[in-house]
Amino acid sequence: MNVVIIDYGLGNVASLSSAIKEVKNCNLIVSNSEQDIFQADKLILPGVGSFDQAMANLRSLDLVRIITSAAESIPILGICLGMQILCSSSTEGSLTKGLDLVAGEFNKFVSTEYTIPHIGFNQVDVSNPSILFEDISDNPDFYFVHSYRLHSAENILSHRTQYIDSFISAFESKYIFGTQFHPELSQTNGSKLLQNFLDYDA
Amino acid sequence: MLRKRLIFVLIYSEGFFCQSRNFRLQKVGKVDWIIDNYKFSEVSKYIDELIILDASPTKDIARFCDDVQIIIENIHIPKCFGGGISSLGGVSKLFAAGADKISINSLAFDDPRACKEIISQYGSQSIVASIDYKSEDGHEIVYKSNGTIATGIELSQHVNFLNEIGFGEILLNSMDRDGTGFGYDLDKIISISNLSTVPIIALGGAGNKNHFHAGLLIENVGAVATANLFNFMEDALGISRDYLLEEKINLAKW
Repeated sequence: MNVVIIDYGLGNVASLSSAIKEVKNCNLIVSNSEQDIFQADKLILPGVGSFDQAMANLRSLDLVRIITSAAESIPILGICLGMQILCSSSTEGSLTKGLDLVAGEFNKFVSTEYTIPHIGFNQVDVSNPSILFEDISDNPDFYFVHSYRLHSAENILSHRTQYIDSFISAFESKYIFGTQFHPELSQTNGSKLLQNFLDYDA
Repeated sequence: MLRKRLIFVLIYSEGFFCQSRNFRLQKVGKVDWIIDNYKFSEVSKYIDELIILDASPTKDIARFCDDVQIIIENIHIPKCFGGGISSLGGVSKLFAAGADKISINSLAFDDPRACKEIISQYGSQSIVASIDYKSEDGHEIVYKSNGTIATGIELSQHVNFLNEIGFGEILLNSMDRDGTGFGYDLDKIISISNLSTVPIIALGGAGNKNHFHAGLLIENVGAVATANLFNFMEDALGISRDYLLEEKINLAKW
């Protein structure tokens, strides 16, 4: 099995690589080459940083075209900022268009009472039937670090988390998957979720 | 619901992991000793985060990174590294070595502007400010450089300053309680956690599970931490976590 972590210069891939290797015996590479991406059985789009910077990097590497096309037939999992850029847009920096594979817009948390960013383990209210959360306990905890969140997404199964308000913390369809949290930093719950994604047969 | 955290801290100095008591370091063992005595792939299941601080009098970031990389292999929780960061370059080395967060102490006194730059580049969520303080004549005074230099600055004043700079969290370490096992400096932790606009991680003094419990009962405390290498060996962290969950403390489950 070929797994490609898409490299666009943002994101700490060390933790992610080690978490994937532990759950799945696979040929794992970190790459941004078109050939590698189209030969993959599973794609992972990581990301730590800002939305506008991420899109600028993707454009300069011609990855907008490549990912959009690859995701028509290869399951892709976006993690944290990676999930955000799978969607239509975000207001981070200035209003920036994303890959638009999922219809939804990211906006910043607003609160005077709660600290922003939302940092730490928090629970996910899982909608069933789920591919990602199969055989994971009810209301599982995952590790979050983010300031922007998605309120609604069209035509996709979504799972929600409560912080300040209720937001979408994960979504999934036949080929497009996203988690706002970091499965690679979320203990056994995260390892199981990664395994579910890698074992999934589209 | 956003959870509170239980954090383990390793103190590193010149190739050794150390037990610290009132900031005097006793070298306990090298990486091999830690790996033999703390099965981190197991221990990490009972903690929410691992902090590794370099207290070496003379810093060697490359060596520190080599040693910590061995420890963090195969543990899937957030890792925070710190100690002796003097520039943006030092920060990027620690992130490259696998840190998810960075802890800064002396640089907040020496170059607040550089701290702001680091925060704007990596985001406040990844940059923790650590504070070492001591009680002197009824005042809490903040120290820098591994607790060797008294700054003369009052603790509450420094907390406000760190909040203004924009750090994402504060690691609050009582030098008087450090390594004693007598319990946390609860009164100070309560007042500082009410003052700070960002989460407080309490450190210094935890000797058993009841101390964790007392710290976590403080409303605005985000996490309790221990750097006590001897009191929490073998299954003590697991027993502590189970106890805290039984006591309905709001910790993550997996």
